[in-house]
Amino acid sequence: MSATATGAWVIATEEKRLAAMVRAARALGGTVTVVAVGPRALADAASAAGPDGVLWLEPAGAEPVEAHAAHVAAAAADAAPRTLLATVEPGARALLGAAAVRLGAAVVPGVLSLRTEGEGVVVECSAAGGAAIATLACPGPLAALFAGDDDVTAAAAPSAPVRVLDDGTAPADLRVVGRAASGRSAGVRDAERVVSVGRGLKAKADLALVESLASTLGAEVACSMPVAEDLGWVAKERYVGRSGQHISPRLYVALGISGTPQHMEGVREAKVVVAVNNDPAAAIFRTADYGIVGDLYDVVPALVAALSS
Amino acid sequence: MRAVVAYTWARDVADAAVRQDGTVEWRKDKMSPGEDDHAALAAGLALTTDGGTLVGLTCGNGDASWALARGVEQAVHVTDATPHDDDAATAAVLAAGVRSIGAVDVVLVGDSEEHPGVPVALAAHLGWPAVVGVTTAAARDGRVEVVRTVGDLEETLSLAPPVVVAVAARSAETRVPGMKELLAARKRPVTRTTLAELGVDVPDTLVARGTRLPATAPTRVFDGEPGEATRQLVAALRNEGVL
Repeated sequence: MSATATGAWVIATEEKRLAAMVRAARALGGTVTVVAVGPRALADAASAAGPDGVLWLEPAGAEPVEAHAAHVAAAAADAAPRTLLATVEPGARALLGAAAVRLGAAVVPGVLSLRTEGEGVVVECSAAGGAAIATLACPGPLAALFAGDDDVTAAAAPSAPVRVLDDGTAPADLRVVGRAASGRSAGVRDAERVVSVGRGLKAKADLALVESLASTLGAEVACSMPVAEDLGWVAKERYVGRSGQHISPRLYVALGISGTPQHMEGVREAKVVVAVNNDPAAAIFRTADYGIVGDLYDVVPALVAALSS
Repeated sequence: MRAVVAYTWARDVADAAVRQDGTVEWRKDKMSPGEDDHAALAAGLALTTDGGTLVGLTCGNGDASWALARGVEQAVHVTDATPHDDDAATAAVLAAGVRSIGAVDVVLVGDSEEHPGVPVALAAHLGWPAVVGVTTAAARDGRVEVVRTVGDLEETLSLAPPVVVAVAARSAETRVPGMKELLAARKRPVTRTTLAELGVDVPDTLVARGTRLPATAPTRVFDGEPGEATRQLVAALRNEGVL
């Protein structure tokens, strides 16, 4: 990797955060290339997101995108971009990792913003589980796992040319052998309002309290991981968190949930988060918009009354 | 199948305290098992139940016996590894550890939310493919079969070894070892090695310029008795237009 490397690659396997990454890459100066690994529609979306060019690779039917990591890494070695960006999604992440190591790039997770400074790039990234923001200077090549806000208002840009990425590299021997509905509840996933309960609930019968608030709000009931997986009080498809539902309601009310990073990742896209917890030091009070410190058994009936008045 | 499970290779973010001025203080400056490590270990045990071996790999100043008390027979410990902001640097150390173990079919690693770049960079350092975000793994006909959730679908993949598989925990660890297992773990062999012995040099290419508090407004907490606090909350939510 030479010090003269320039330009940025945005590696995308889905449209989420694509426009925001192109914009972030654009701000660094130099050319911006989107490497789109997926269907033609993804390449078209990439083309419209405002890069200078798109490299497109479409995996065959049973190939996961990860099968093409070596292929993308080889192309990266040829083009030698200074900066790589991708989301943390499994496919995109695998492609970014392969390209990053090939380029000798530092891999920084949780990147919120990037700027050019002299020959290098300076990033701001999430630290201490999101409770702080760290500034890191990257004098050498950088691979950023981008976690900045999505850019939903991106202006329609002139379409960039799409070139098929095909150097004959054989895909790795990885195959999708089955796909089945995961049984996730569309009710929770698409709800405008969600009332969610955690270990602060003392007994399964007390779910009635949670349901009373949900019904007053016209909300779906969800829960944190232990309530579904360990206690089995709420159906597993209603559990919100990194390995469960990722939801984006306008209102998320967390009752007796401490707010582990694992849980909060599932509600990162929620508009307003309200936390009720009897522990003032609970992590959720660092990220929620509104909070009430108190026992949910006292607060929930009062909240139902306040909503009804 | 010969598998390696990497564990206790980073500090626990719960040990980081953020001060009012935005600086971060590590109350406990030790590597700790990650919240996904037990899931990676469970996958490793599942892959090696019908013959095969599972070797633990840990790095830094954490407790190497964690995996040994949970069914792993032997471990390699890179004792002088330090935490890195660069996931590729952490991965380089783990890759050197894997190479020191010899022929390996699959490396399992917890799919840490804090360090999502580690499994993919580890695979790249080894020159292997990576599949991340997995919840379970099993051996089938000499291949590794894994399951992960993608959107509304549960996807099953069949992977040819060698491969790196990152496993995300679906629940907290339920079975914590007892005293007997902890004592037995102390007798199991740990091969201690160093970065120099492994010939791995991981200069920190990133320059940390400090930390600050997020610009987002802090949580607005309503105090007082529940009736008054909830009335204020409802008023605020009506203002936000979410009610």
